[in-house]
Amino acid sequence: MIEIRQLHKHYDTAQGRVEVLKGIDLNVESGSITAVVGPSGAGKSTLSHCISLLEKPSSGQILVDGKDLSVLSGKALRAERRAIGTIFQNSALLRRMTVAENVALPLRNLGVIHHEMEHRVAELLARVGLADRANSYPGELSGGQRQRVGIARALALRPRLLLSDEATSGLDPESTAQILELLASLRTDLGLAIILITHEMDVVRHIADRVAQLDGGQIAEYGELRALVANPKSATGSKLLPLRPDLVPAGYDFALTVAYRGNHIDPSWISKLGSEHGATVALLGGSVEAHHEGTLGRVEIGVSGINKERVIEVLDGWGLHATAHSHALGSAAINYETRIEVKV
Amino acid sequence: MSLPTESSTVGTDTPWSELGSLMLPAYAETWAMVGIVMVLVIILGGTMGLALFNTDRRGIFPHAQSHATLSWIVNMGRSLPFLVLMAAIIPFTKWVTGTTIGIWAAVVPMTIAGIPFFARLVQNALNDLPKENLSVGLVTGGSPLQIIGATQIREALPALASAITLNTISMVEYSAIAGTIGAGGIGYLAVTYGYQRFDMNVMIATILALIVTVQIVQFLGDRIARALARP
Repeated sequence: MIEIRQLHKHYDTAQGRVEVLKGIDLNVESGSITAVVGPSGAGKSTLSHCISLLEKPSSGQILVDGKDLSVLSGKALRAERRAIGTIFQNSALLRRMTVAENVALPLRNLGVIHHEMEHRVAELLARVGLADRANSYPGELSGGQRQRVGIARALALRPRLLLSDEATSGLDPESTAQILELLASLRTDLGLAIILITHEMDVVRHIADRVAQLDGGQIAEYGELRALVANPKSATGSKLLPLRPDLVPAGYDFALTVAYRGNHIDPSWISKLGSEHGATVALLGGSVEAHHEGTLGRVEIGVSGINKERVIEVLDGWGLHATAHSHALGSAAINYETRIEVKV
Repeated sequence: MSLPTESSTVGTDTPWSELGSLMLPAYAETWAMVGIVMVLVIILGGTMGLALFNTDRRGIFPHAQSHATLSWIVNMGRSLPFLVLMAAIIPFTKWVTGTTIGIWAAVVPMTIAGIPFFARLVQNALNDLPKENLSVGLVTGGSPLQIIGATQIREALPALASAITLNTISMVEYSAIAGTIGAGGIGYLAVTYGYQRFDMNVMIATILALIVTVQIVQFLGDRIARALARP
């Protein structure tokens, strides 16, 4: 269990004090993946540097199993930092070392004996599917392979937390998928807590359990991925599954944003609205896709021929969370909003 | 007493057959000087280069003031032409070696000129490394010495080999300049025979020896740097 408590970081510059992180709180359970997303300048890199203990926070704590690592320095820091494995953007392998030497670097730094080291490196390379490339140099590998070596290196000291700092940006879709699959299996098999710092919403949607939206150095929104997506009012949810509300046509009574919140949604719910309730439904946009814990979906529909409150009730009964919104339908802007509380 | 006329000084060329016995000991002296200097320069200049890099923003111990001070010292060492430096530090040279002529007297100014030059070359070589290397060293639990060894020196070896090559060639050149104050080596030959006695043969042989030496050093340096590079 990794707890980040009231993390502040400021820099003193000639122009005065710049506050980059303004009190970050984040809990990452073992065996779960938390994505930290946000626009550039939100403080993602600084947060990443603080978590990987490359920078000291101005105040606040980084607790790994109850022990505050943010106050350590020197030898104590070097010994304890093994609890956190870091994966860098572009893998950051040392170019004049072989794959095996790169993976062995943390072991060598901590003085692990040679025989044990060889055994552990072989085990790690097998784990990331690169057992046959032990003697290659990073320059001979593809970007995706290099990143897998980077992951093996980060795992060498059996960390409790794996921090991935934009690890898949710059990779092709196939390599990205392989890396995500590997991270997901590490979460499950090793029970690792994983923090994914990324700007790629596709990556977050595919793999994250929880999402923290960082904005202006603060966590603007934080919750389970499924809850955020199932909440039509969530800004993070709408970034994860973007809609196109500008497509709302005239001729319909009202528009609804419908979010999937159950795992067993009848896929024919749109046609059922017509056949069972006499509604005319226009599909305006949306995205529905499989997630490792079930289906994620946000769909925007235009509806006529049925009472608004009624249709929301019907959809609620089917495990769909509907919110009417105020997008202009034709020329008249209708400013109503309805929300159904999700009962868990 | 008759003063030597121009005609009496011209035509004292050392016969080609005797050049070998004249050149070889001098050539050995040149390499003795350059060899001793390079060992000192690599150790002291290399340390200074590491200190320059590691006190800078991308280093292990960033410290603007220390970096600025070091940089100022290095610039000062690099700003004096070698001949001026050599003359200026004669009292120091004498204090260190007890003499102002000969190989050891040349080693002192050559080393002092070589250290800041090599320090800058090392700093540049390290600056060309990926900036993530320090983070990698830190997150893998490296001590400062481990980080310097694995992520700085080892990663920069090809560039450091090129730096040593460049520095060696400069030192061969400096050794020839040092010849003017009686340091020995082929520079001394060129001055005493070629310049003062108008001995054309010695002059030509010296020039050829210097050209061939620089070509060989550069060739070997390039080969070593290439052998150290990785795909």
